[in-house]
Amino acid sequence: MNLAGIDEDRLKRAFLEEAEDLTQKLSDSLMALEENQSDAGLINEIFRLTHSLKSESALMGFQTLAGVSHKMEDVFGRVRGGELALDRTVMDRIFAGSDLIAAMIQGIAKGGNDADFSPGPVLEGLQEYAEPAGKAAPAKARTGPAEAGASAPAQAAEAGAPAETAAGTADASGTPAAAEARAPREAAFEPGDFERQQMREARDRGETLYRITVEIDDDAAMKFPRAYLVFNNLELLVNLLHVDPPMDGAMADDGVYGKITAWFTSAGTREKIRECTDVDQIKAVDLAPLEYADLLDRAALAPAGSGDGRPKSGQTAFAPEPAPSTERRAVLEKPTIRVDTRKLDDLWRMVADLILQKAAVGRIYDKVAHAEEPHALQEELGAVVDAFEKIVGGLQATMMETRMIPIAVIFSKFPRLVRDLSRKLGKSVDLVTEGEDTEIDRSIVELLADPLTHIIRNSLDHGIEFAEERVSHGKPAKGRIRIAASQQGGQIVIELADDGKGFDEQGIRRKAAAMGIERAATMDREEALKLVFLPGFSTKEAVTDLSGRGVGMDVVATRIREDLKGEVQLSTRAGEGTQITLLLPLTLTIVRSLLVRADNHIFAVPAVAVETTQKVLASELRGDSAAPFLPMEDGERPVFFLNSLLERPARRAEEYDTVMIRHGNNRGCLVVDELLQEMELVIKPIDDLLNFRRLFSGISLREDGSIVFILDTSFIRRRENNGRQDPDR
Amino acid sequence: MGAKILIADDLSFMRMIQKEILTEKGYTIVGEAADGLEAVEKYSALQPDLVVLDITMPHMNGLDAMRKIFQMDPKARVIMCSALGQQNLIVDAIKSGVKDFIVKPFKPERILSAIEKALK
Repeated sequence: MNLAGIDEDRLKRAFLEEAEDLTQKLSDSLMALEENQSDAGLINEIFRLTHSLKSESALMGFQTLAGVSHKMEDVFGRVRGGELALDRTVMDRIFAGSDLIAAMIQGIAKGGNDADFSPGPVLEGLQEYAEPAGKAAPAKARTGPAEAGASAPAQAAEAGAPAETAAGTADASGTPAAAEARAPREAAFEPGDFERQQMREARDRGETLYRITVEIDDDAAMKFPRAYLVFNNLELLVNLLHVDPPMDGAMADDGVYGKITAWFTSAGTREKIRECTDVDQIKAVDLAPLEYADLLDRAALAPAGSGDGRPKSGQTAFAPEPAPSTERRAVLEKPTIRVDTRKLDDLWRMVADLILQKAAVGRIYDKVAHAEEPHALQEELGAVVDAFEKIVGGLQATMMETRMIPIAVIFSKFPRLVRDLSRKLGKSVDLVTEGEDTEIDRSIVELLADPLTHIIRNSLDHGIEFAEERVSHGKPAKGRIRIAASQQGGQIVIELADDGKGFDEQGIRRKAAAMGIERAATMDREEALKLVFLPGFSTKEAVTDLSGRGVGMDVVATRIREDLKGEVQLSTRAGEGTQITLLLPLTLTIVRSLLVRADNHIFAVPAVAVETTQKVLASELRGDSAAPFLPMEDGERPVFFLNSLLERPARRAEEYDTVMIRHGNNRGCLVVDELLQEMELVIKPIDDLLNFRRLFSGISLREDGSIVFILDTSFIRRRENNGRQDPDR
Repeated sequence: MGAKILIADDLSFMRMIQKEILTEKGYTIVGEAADGLEAVEKYSALQPDLVVLDITMPHMNGLDAMRKIFQMDPKARVIMCSALGQQNLIVDAIKSGVKDFIVKPFKPERILSAIEKALK
């Protein structure tokens, strides 16, 4: 659809962003509603959300989506009006609607269309509750483009608004029959005693009698209020005698308001009168003066019955909006702004350049410091460098902040996931989440959702036992899954724990043996458990449709390690439960590092891996030259010569510059040619071809254009257990 | 042209569309509001020539906001934005002094002609 030349892509993106937000809120609110069905604030909120979804999708032309949203809105309109109680079945149907809406939006986000989905079953399921029982469908009203307007006028008619026909007889019209019987008829005015009196008095005052006919554009939606605009203007200016059709309350058939006729008296000019009809979407106006005699001499046919039986106009099923419930469980409401992520990327690039420039200025400063008579210049430059420092620091910090979002965006999907899966499996599970407001960088968010979901599914599928089994082991019937996120020392720590039956160690060993892994039976417990991270591993033979294609912790581990540059730790106790801990870097894009030199190249060791730097004497080293190690207070550390890792000749000396590094639970000692300075580096991804022996996690460009390779310190694990090849590398 | 307009709708998507349509025509969007309370505050602070109010908004709906605005400024130019089926609400609004209304989903011409007329 094209709206005044707005870029279609942008429009679609804005629509999707809003729609996804609304759908998430809808799902959350529905979950909350299940717990507390009488919360009027929630009900109103849900009504408003479905209403908004409907408006948005209709505007974008997604008719199917709009249709389902509308049906949901209808259902909640009734809930709001107290006409519909929420039982199990209704809630299920509503959830089905909410899911379909979410699925359609996902489909659209992926480049598809809402029309790809068949809403039939869902709509039928909701239809039952969208209308009062036993009622026939409302009369087909000619209200213009959408039929959506039919419900409200129909309800108004039901409220009992008798319509005055031109013949002056009170008539309970508005029934389907009357609506259909309406042929374009001549508006007429048969004045009763009251009107006659009015006319006589007006004539005495010297006012002119007029009849005005106003026709509204055929394609105008909601003609009644449009006609009312004119009517309202007239009322304020002239003395109205009669209006046909009457404007007391909207009638079932909005189409009748396509043409309104009014009789009135006025002393004003015709220009002024015509101004009353200066309303949009009016297609024709006919203003004609009349002779009082024509109307006064006619015999009165109608009883003067305009006083009684006033219709209960303005009455619809629209319930007054109660004050929002204050005890509502707070969805994280943080004052936020929407930022186009492409803008963020641009800004990010600018910041990166600024960092480079800052370094350049620093170098010039150094040069100047060594030149003759540099003092004056140096001071000036010094001030600039300081300013730069401040600006860049501030920019960086602010950028980091805008990039950070609370992990709640991922966690928010879990309650629903757990609810649905546990129901499907027939297990009873409680989910506890902590640290939802821990902030993580946007770059991580997308990558993190899948592995976390996977781990939870595993817990539900393999970990948590059925209620009877649990009880027979003295456990509470309800299982418990706990997810906690926190920031600890430059890392994001996410713990997922369940109180299920733990990993089946024997099962793992058996599977490993079947896979041909040596020592599967004899290796120690910790090692055995880590085997689950091996690609292609799965502890259950049967593939349940929940955990998918039989993939398990191995896929999760790869994702966490490779894409997120993080670590996975597993601890499990048979019969008691399992805890999986993820250690992730704060951001994937900037890394504070220690620069070192080896083989005439510059490398960066991420600060998070650096424990300390130390000079080590060659005489302190033990072990053979292929696998040297260094005895230290806390145990032996394997020693790695960076040159050797690069397969370059290692420099032998009496004394070495080393960096004490750690990676997860592993410790190591890295020997380099020279220790340089600490720096913050903007990471760029490294091509696999360049990634020699997969030693690097990325590269960074220095201000002079040279490349710094950023070390991936997981190479430490390679030499675990006396040089034996670690199975998961 | 160049008239100052305040837009109020809880959907940022809607606001974006309205802003685009109106700005292209030369109107100045002096502010946006996401709920009725904000609409009233901004009307008072920004003194726009015209305000477009959506009926369904959180915290304070468009109708209450409209009434408050008329209390502050009896000569306010207000256009209500509504969905189909809110006939009687619009009529109420008209009785209070609203100049015109547009029905969602609307075509760009509609909001433009409504505003043009209302500003005369």
